[in-house]
Amino acid sequence: MTRKLSVILSLVLVCVFAVSSAAYAADKVTVRWWHIFTEESQKAVCQKFADDYMAANPDVTIEMTVMENEAFKTKLTTVMQGGNPPDIIHSWGGGVLNDYAKAGLLRDITADLDKDGWRDLYGAGALETYGAGGKNYGIPNDMGMIGFWYNTELFEKAGIKAVPTTWSEFLADVQLLKDSGTIPIAVAGQDKWPAMYYWTYLASRIGGKAAFDAAYDRTGSFADPTFVEAGYKLKELIDMEPFQDGFLGSIYNDEGGLVGNGKAAMELMGQWAPTVQADNSVDKKGLGDKLGWFPFPAVEGGAGSVADAMGGGGGFIVGKDAPDEAIDFLKFINTAEAQATMAKAGMVIPCAKGAEVGLTDPFKLQIKAAVDNAPYFQLYYDQFLPSATAQVINDSIQGLFAGTMTPEEVAQAIEDSAAEELG
Amino acid sequence: MNDLFIAGNQHKYILSPQKRNRDTLTALFFLIPTLIFFFIFIIYPIIQSLYYSFFNWKGFGPAINFVGLRNYEKILTDSVFAKAVGNGLLIVVLSLIVQLPISIALAIMVRNDMPGRSFFRTIFFMPFVFSESIAGIIWVSMFKPDPSIGFLNAIWTLIPGVKPLEFLGDTSQVMMCVFIALTWKYLGFHMLLYMAGLANIPREIEEAAIIDGASNWQIIRNVTLPLLSTTIRTSVYLSVLGSLQQFGLIWIMSKGGPVNASETMAIYMYRFGFMRLALGYGCAVGVILLLICLIFSVSYQRLVKQQDYLGGLYS
Amino acid sequence: MTEKNTIQSWKKQNRRSLIFKYIVLIIIFLIVVIPIIMLIFGALKTRGELATKPYTPPIPPHFENIQKILNQPDFWNMLKNSLFVMLAATAGTVLVAAMAAFSFSRLNFRGKNLSFNVVTLGLLFPMSIAILPEYILLRQLNLLNLWGIILPEIAFALAGDILILRGFFMAIPVELQDASYIDGCTNLGFFWKILLPLARPSLSAVAVLAMINSWNELFLPIVVLNEERLYTLPLGTMQFSTEHGTDWAMVLAFVALSMIPTIIFYLFAEKQLISGLTAGAVKG
Repeated sequence: MTRKLSVILSLVLVCVFAVSSAAYAADKVTVRWWHIFTEESQKAVCQKFADDYMAANPDVTIEMTVMENEAFKTKLTTVMQGGNPPDIIHSWGGGVLNDYAKAGLLRDITADLDKDGWRDLYGAGALETYGAGGKNYGIPNDMGMIGFWYNTELFEKAGIKAVPTTWSEFLADVQLLKDSGTIPIAVAGQDKWPAMYYWTYLASRIGGKAAFDAAYDRTGSFADPTFVEAGYKLKELIDMEPFQDGFLGSIYNDEGGLVGNGKAAMELMGQWAPTVQADNSVDKKGLGDKLGWFPFPAVEGGAGSVADAMGGGGGFIVGKDAPDEAIDFLKFINTAEAQATMAKAGMVIPCAKGAEVGLTDPFKLQIKAAVDNAPYFQLYYDQFLPSATAQVINDSIQGLFAGTMTPEEVAQAIEDSAAEELG
Repeated sequence: MNDLFIAGNQHKYILSPQKRNRDTLTALFFLIPTLIFFFIFIIYPIIQSLYYSFFNWKGFGPAINFVGLRNYEKILTDSVFAKAVGNGLLIVVLSLIVQLPISIALAIMVRNDMPGRSFFRTIFFMPFVFSESIAGIIWVSMFKPDPSIGFLNAIWTLIPGVKPLEFLGDTSQVMMCVFIALTWKYLGFHMLLYMAGLANIPREIEEAAIIDGASNWQIIRNVTLPLLSTTIRTSVYLSVLGSLQQFGLIWIMSKGGPVNASETMAIYMYRFGFMRLALGYGCAVGVILLLICLIFSVSYQRLVKQQDYLGGLYS
Repeated sequence: MTEKNTIQSWKKQNRRSLIFKYIVLIIIFLIVVIPIIMLIFGALKTRGELATKPYTPPIPPHFENIQKILNQPDFWNMLKNSLFVMLAATAGTVLVAAMAAFSFSRLNFRGKNLSFNVVTLGLLFPMSIAILPEYILLRQLNLLNLWGIILPEIAFALAGDILILRGFFMAIPVELQDASYIDGCTNLGFFWKILLPLARPSLSAVAVLAMINSWNELFLPIVVLNEERLYTLPLGTMQFSTEHGTDWAMVLAFVALSMIPTIIFYLFAEKQLISGLTAGAVKG
């Protein structure tokens, strides 16, 4: 009865309010492109791609939807759950992409990549990030890694001669910085993901690729000694109280501002850090030539190498109902030239071979080289793992930083979630 | 037509059968738009949520993994959810013992013909015009822990010898911070409700009390407050429901942290349904929240009816 | 002691407490107004200034952010969309809620209590919980446009507004209704010609609440709107956030500007609002 009534009522509503969707002529194809380049100049670059493409292909309309990160995730989740993906979608790859692919929401573009040598444009590892179960669903657009960004002047003032290469050197330097009266490290505890980098990097330095792969394919476990020890190593750092006051309530903007304005000596962050530091500094310049970068230090006796990299970036994936024109457009915005344009605009560290010409920033070049030469490249755990486990990782590590969880409890909580999601 | 004049006996008049038939038709006509809106945009989604709450479902593709009541079991045994319920109750209690008395006091203070009355009234209501996210953004900046950035710590550290407070970064302070922001935003709205209620109390009753030699406080306690009871009920009702459902302001200020210290039921729901992609689980949280509100609503109406049969809750 | 004397001595006592009253009011005034001043300060600063000294007065003030926003065609377009949504949602809410409140307050019919309780459900169920079913529904109804915001906004505003209006309508003396029937008025005639004009202040009270809600709605537009030309003002602050950071100075400038219309509406409606709420409480 209720159901019938609601059906009738919906019909009434449809009659009253329905707006004809046949706004476009039948022979015109629309490609819906969702991305997160909200910043004015970056949005303009994207708009130009779309305009150029439409000029060359008058029967195609590119419909751009631009949303800020958080809003984008909320919206995309709802739309995906509603079973109606757009055609070209910004993606971080990993676990979320896996979920989409499993639910049949993405278009398999493996065959397209094999045509005309498109595949050869990218390194295999980078491309793999946007694939699942041996199939490709998208392409990488930006790839970088996490490392320590530091203030060379403050390091000098504290009497640090060379950047630390091992965890104990690192802890000693933190002490020196503390003694010199600066905040050694800025971290955004409320946002969780910046804190997560410490634990996951330590785990990767201690256990290397083997430990993570074993935990992931379930021959091992996230409660294994590697992951517990990562917690203990991190606890050594946390117990030194190296962070700014009230760091558990700080967001990433605060973190960038502290480093950018020379109040904190370093932060563990990705390739975008200098931009955010500059944006949040008084003179809009950030640290300028006082900025330095070093990779996450090795842990003595650990299986991982200091050259192993953890990072990620962004890419584009293709929705299940995407027309062929969408793939053609995707190729268009991802040629070496197009990628070079994006790199020049500071939007990406490009992945397409030959696009490096667009990079001039020495740090970005350094990062690109480190990524390309890493013996083991690991996508951020919170991207790589299923969303549920990712959130558990972030939540538990926040607990470790706050002192409410022990290293064992953190490892166990992550394992419990992994057992459910991956098992 | 004669029954109209039976000395204004409304009950008899209203219940007359012809009138009732005519009323039923009119009521049907007048209620149709409301019912359409409700069935489509509220009842239908509630039923959907209820249905999905029995599945382990990420929200992608059809829901096939039926788990019965397992989601509910897990929620009700999760200590984080218990914390969320506790925080909801904490906001309810704080609202009732802090926010409501202040708003009544304010309403009483600005009711008389005192100079500047409308100025204060306008300013006090102003925060209600702000959205929760804007209010959140403003208060986050007020609560920044660094005294050179956060205004409140700048004031606080004027006291010699104290350390800056961590505010949103401290698990034991975060709820207080959030509550201050909530009070700031909603104080004016409740003040307005009480002003409306006060305007309705005849001055003569209070003046009679003055003549009897009652003090200010006695008048407020024994005359004003009892006459204000209808408004108090409405205000309490809206305040409790709002507190239980609180999401936006806290989400902006603390995301429910640090380590779940400011978790509420709606934040819990959002974190699971949207961020962990456990949509079935999130729906179950929504259903529980709905039930808690429903239980409150029903028992509150009962309670109010018992206390005063004639004074309806909303009238 | 005569009555007059008592009242005078009471008033004298009041004069003393008046000073106390002003002190309290001024303290609360400061608490309420300081965050608002911070917002205005922030709107007149550069991003770097805001990050390092957010609460000092903006000297010299930077009007660039405000100018930049005012020069954006997007801003005016969002303003237009927001106004359209607000007006449609408010008009719809007030009309539909008034009709329902009339039924619940002045008519007697079978199922009155049941349908009233169904309506109260709307208060117990925040929209954020139901966003997925809501979205699927809107897509099926082909409503992924401004109407897809307006209609759910009306639906979710109804419950509270019906409750408030019902109280107001009950306060209107029954004798008026009786008299109008004697004059040959139908129920419909009574509603249009007598009740609505009489209840105008309370209708505007409800309208102000609906306007504020509609103006600030963020969740629905995020999920429903795909085309930038349809964006409403609350979505406008997104353009100042990149993947890893937010230009808070621009956000505050944008917010301060977009608040202006609501504040103007509120000031206009305030008189109506207060007398409206007052009229509603007449019943006692």
